[in-house]
Amino acid sequence: MIVVRTQRKRRTQGIGRSQWAPLVSLFLAAAGFVSFAASLTPSASSASSASSFSRAGASGAIRGRVELRRVPSVSERRPNVSDLGTASHRDLPDRLRSVVYLETAPRGAFEQTETGHATLDQRNETFVPHVLAITTGTTVDFPNSDRIYHNVFSLSKTASFDLGRYAVGHSKSIRFDKPGIVRVFCEIHSHMSAFILVFSHPFFAMTDSDGRYRIDNVPPGTYAVIAWNEGVSSDPAPVTVPNGGIAELDIALR
Amino acid sequence: MLTAVHKRLLCVCALALCAGVPARAQTLPSDPVVFGNGRVTLGGDVSWSIAPEDTGFFNYTDYEHSTLRMVRLALIASVKADDHLALLAEVRSENGEHPEPYGLYLRIRPWTGRAFDIQVGRVPPTFGAFARRTYAADNPLIGYPLAYQYLTSIHADALPRTTDELLRMRGRGWLSNFSIGNPAPDRGVPLVSAFRWDTGVQLHAESNLIEATGSFTTGTISNPRFSDDNGGRQIAGRVVLRPLVGLIVGGSAARGPFVSRTALRAALGEAGAGDDAFTQTAWGSDVEYSRDYYLLRLETVVSTWTLPLVSATAGQLPLRAVGTSAEGRYKFRPGLYGAARVDHLGFSDIATALTRESWEAPVTRVAVGGGYSIQRNLLLKLEFQHNTREGGRVQRLNLGAAQVVFWF
Repeated sequence: MIVVRTQRKRRTQGIGRSQWAPLVSLFLAAAGFVSFAASLTPSASSASSASSFSRAGASGAIRGRVELRRVPSVSERRPNVSDLGTASHRDLPDRLRSVVYLETAPRGAFEQTETGHATLDQRNETFVPHVLAITTGTTVDFPNSDRIYHNVFSLSKTASFDLGRYAVGHSKSIRFDKPGIVRVFCEIHSHMSAFILVFSHPFFAMTDSDGRYRIDNVPPGTYAVIAWNEGVSSDPAPVTVPNGGIAELDIALR
Repeated sequence: MLTAVHKRLLCVCALALCAGVPARAQTLPSDPVVFGNGRVTLGGDVSWSIAPEDTGFFNYTDYEHSTLRMVRLALIASVKADDHLALLAEVRSENGEHPEPYGLYLRIRPWTGRAFDIQVGRVPPTFGAFARRTYAADNPLIGYPLAYQYLTSIHADALPRTTDELLRMRGRGWLSNFSIGNPAPDRGVPLVSAFRWDTGVQLHAESNLIEATGSFTTGTISNPRFSDDNGGRQIAGRVVLRPLVGLIVGGSAARGPFVSRTALRAALGEAGAGDDAFTQTAWGSDVEYSRDYYLLRLETVVSTWTLPLVSATAGQLPLRAVGTSAEGRYKFRPGLYGAARVDHLGFSDIATALTRESWEAPVTRVAVGGGYSIQRNLLLKLEFQHNTREGGRVQRLNLGAAQVVFWF
């Protein structure tokens, strides 16, 4: 179920949707973004990453709550009768956090060259965070904080890599230049997995523990919003961001 | 020759695998099945190995089963009652045969705050390193190390009357027979069996630096048994040190009565049937080191069987075997690795009236291969083997093999 409410905070100058639409369509067609957006089945992290997008003078925001109607089950270790004893305690990944993002983004969103760093830690046999949302060009560090080996790898088409085995206190990094979903695993511990969602625009946000999200600095216009959690995504929900206002959108998943 | 059951099984496996091959990587489910509020976890392991006929029986685990020509289905389950008690089981079917419980035991953790466990039932082997890595996904190659698979000529329930009789069976371990005890031709025993687990009680404790395991089981490491055949029990122990990250150093020992009571009765009469001097004693050491993209393993197993010899005045025939394997794996790129293993089995000499030679034909195997992960839990492996044996009908054999592995 999708509930859309629109609040107009203040009226400022901006580019209306009617002006954006043909430009965005042209750009998306040229950049092939539509196909990426359609294939993106996300989950995410980080507060709204759109804060640096200041091209639109009177941007608004989209906020709301993602309701998980079926809570993702806790990932269990693969049963292994070969073990000589009980496996050591590990942390459980936080599978309740979702990612909310715009299926298509305003013109100019793809022109950013801003790059940054993010961290996906390996701690107590768990990737922390379980879901990481970044923009293209971001370099992700993979420190090992455990006293045992891990071997981070991914065979995803978006990014295929294998960092090999390295000990506690060491870290390796990968720069993600292609948008899409990257599933990350540990070769040694099959119960360790994480998602990295790489966006080509900054209009996405991670939900908090209550499922609440907020995407800031969204130029006025009508957009399709998608929520993603553990490989499940919602249907695109239309939402209109008023000039300088806040659009509210609640989304139910699963 | 594939039977109708085998063919049906192969079709099911092929369909299951092909149906899941995704348009894009990593879409086949790889998480175990969990229900009962997390108390019940099910995993699976499917492997399908194909190879030309192994005319020298270098890779056979009995007269009908070769590690290079096998379809194996395994269902693995864990049922947790609470933090103190869990039931673990693995049921396997090989080449479409009736499923058998490979492992089935209770794991008891008396104190949740201490890494100490008691395992009771059909438990994983205490001895050595490889026996607990027999899942196809854990083995970088397709074949097994010789010490864990290659069949020597000796039996627990049949004995040679003379050393000449023993020597006549050199290089025929997949189907040998002796005149005392059970006269039926049957497979001999490997140094350590990786295909049948121990039955008994196992204790395990560990810390960050060291782990120790001890067990009290039926049979011996070369002939693990579900039901006892000689009234004796095997004692086995293993200590593992982890002095630094990536380095694992292990040592193992095991000793137990080997010869069955029936064979002893046939050899020594009723008075000798209860004699527990005829044992298998084994020592093992293993080292593993890994870093970055490479992994190296070295393992040695020394096994001594003491058999009664009715034709000799000494009355005992000690037979020693030493298995050594060195294995390496290197990952070239994501999902692609190469691997190699060099393996040798050597045997002690025994004297006959005319000569002195090793009681079994020494075997050497060089295997190279690699694997490619189509996705995380779908792996293709290739292997090329060069086998040599200083005896037997086939003394040199090159073999190629391929394997598909799927697990969840």
